[in-house]
Amino acid sequence: MRPLLAMDRSLKWPAVLLAVFFLAQAWLSSRLDHWVHPEPFESSQSGTLDPRIVSSLRAVAFLTGYKVLIGHVFWIRVIQYYGDAENGADHYSKLYDYCRLASDLNPQFISVYSYGAAALAYQLNREDEAFKLLQKGVQANPQDASLKLMYAALTYHGHSDYKKEIPFLETQIAQGNAPTMMVNILANTYMKVGRNEDAIRLWRHILATTDSDVTKDEAAKKLKELYAITKVKKVDEATKP
Amino acid sequence: MYRLFRVAQFTFRELIRSRMLYIWVISCVVFCALAFLLSILSFGEVHKIFMDLGLVGMEFSGLLVLILSLAVTYNTEFDQKAIYLQLCKPLTRGEYLLGRVLGFFLIISLVIISMGLVIGGLVVFIGGGKVGLLFVDSTIFLLLEMLVLTTLGLAFQMIGTSMVGVVLYSMFTIFLGHCIGQVEWLLSQKLSNTVKMILRVVHFFLPNLEAFNLKDRIYDPDLVLGWVQWREAFLYAFAYSFVVFLIGWINLEKRQFE
Repeated sequence: MRPLLAMDRSLKWPAVLLAVFFLAQAWLSSRLDHWVHPEPFESSQSGTLDPRIVSSLRAVAFLTGYKVLIGHVFWIRVIQYYGDAENGADHYSKLYDYCRLASDLNPQFISVYSYGAAALAYQLNREDEAFKLLQKGVQANPQDASLKLMYAALTYHGHSDYKKEIPFLETQIAQGNAPTMMVNILANTYMKVGRNEDAIRLWRHILATTDSDVTKDEAAKKLKELYAITKVKKVDEATKP
Repeated sequence: MYRLFRVAQFTFRELIRSRMLYIWVISCVVFCALAFLLSILSFGEVHKIFMDLGLVGMEFSGLLVLILSLAVTYNTEFDQKAIYLQLCKPLTRGEYLLGRVLGFFLIISLVIISMGLVIGGLVVFIGGGKVGLLFVDSTIFLLLEMLVLTTLGLAFQMIGTSMVGVVLYSMFTIFLGHCIGQVEWLLSQKLSNTVKMILRVVHFFLPNLEAFNLKDRIYDPDLVLGWVQWREAFLYAFAYSFVVFLIGWINLEKRQFE
């Protein structure tokens, strides 16, 4: 009996099979392309990426098929950029662009939007950029509620409408599962309006519950600052004639 | 059929003896450590980062096993002429090649699946997180990608005349296979017809590895992964692998062993 995989010496039938299967794979490849890139590729490449940021990592991400991995690596670089005090000389001018790139590479990574927007709005007073970043986050993650809540909180903050901002944040936090960033924002807002006792309570809560060392450090610094302020106030009150 | 499985079994044993499973151990340790380091350096979503990096680690270790296996077996089969012993048995060259493909694919699958189990286990039992269904889907797509690359690598082994050549061809094809998205983007630009035709030919000759790259779309809310997508991805993997297998087989048939 002829073996199953014996080749005909004339190699005619494998050539025909080769042609048939080659055409089949080409057709399937084109069909799969529509599934892999449902939107025109151009819009996801040049339309959303900021050309001002030249990054070799961006090129590597698009050429190697490791966008999510490189997005995470790039996000750590963003954190390092923001953590480096030397970059404070130009008020972290590239922070927004870096956050945009990190979110382009990994659009479903919520932390890029929440931390980026919080830093831009509350620490650098660049609310416009924070709004743009959050808008992008909400568009990319329509099912995520935390970004929408943050957007609302930022709107109040932008209008310095603390009377609305504080109860809004308090209600959201009381509902549970609020991101630490939101608690952080409320604590900072308490400090702004002079509700130091509430701020101390909240920072203590953050210090006790957070897993992040960076947040712990921040909470400790804020508490130190607040204790100093309340101490001075008490001394002032005690020495008042 | 029996002969085919014997070749696959022999290849599997040969690769185990070549200490390919050490790569699994090293990859597990390196990628889990790297994933852990990155997840603590980054703010938030630790499990997400750990699993994303885990998937990358699974692909890397699979590719590493494939490339090293190609290099090792080229040395034993062609340089040390062990293939003479195989082909003088009652075995056709087609059965020999298909058996090799199966043996290679078995060891790569073993590495990828066991690494997936380690990552999933760490996330569930140590991190207290959940492993989504898309993680499993991504792993299956990764296995399909490895099937295509294994067949391609072995076809290169049948065509190539040196170990370095086989390794380089395979590595370049893997890299270019992920550039399909860029080729498509170029095709949508204003270019001359000749350039477009060349690009289109390149597009159809290269393996569309982006079609199996589910790990980059794992959190995409627009991702649709239904029966149609599964069917097309499977059919594409098998059609492309069969084309490459036939090329390898024809080359092996024409190859003179004297």
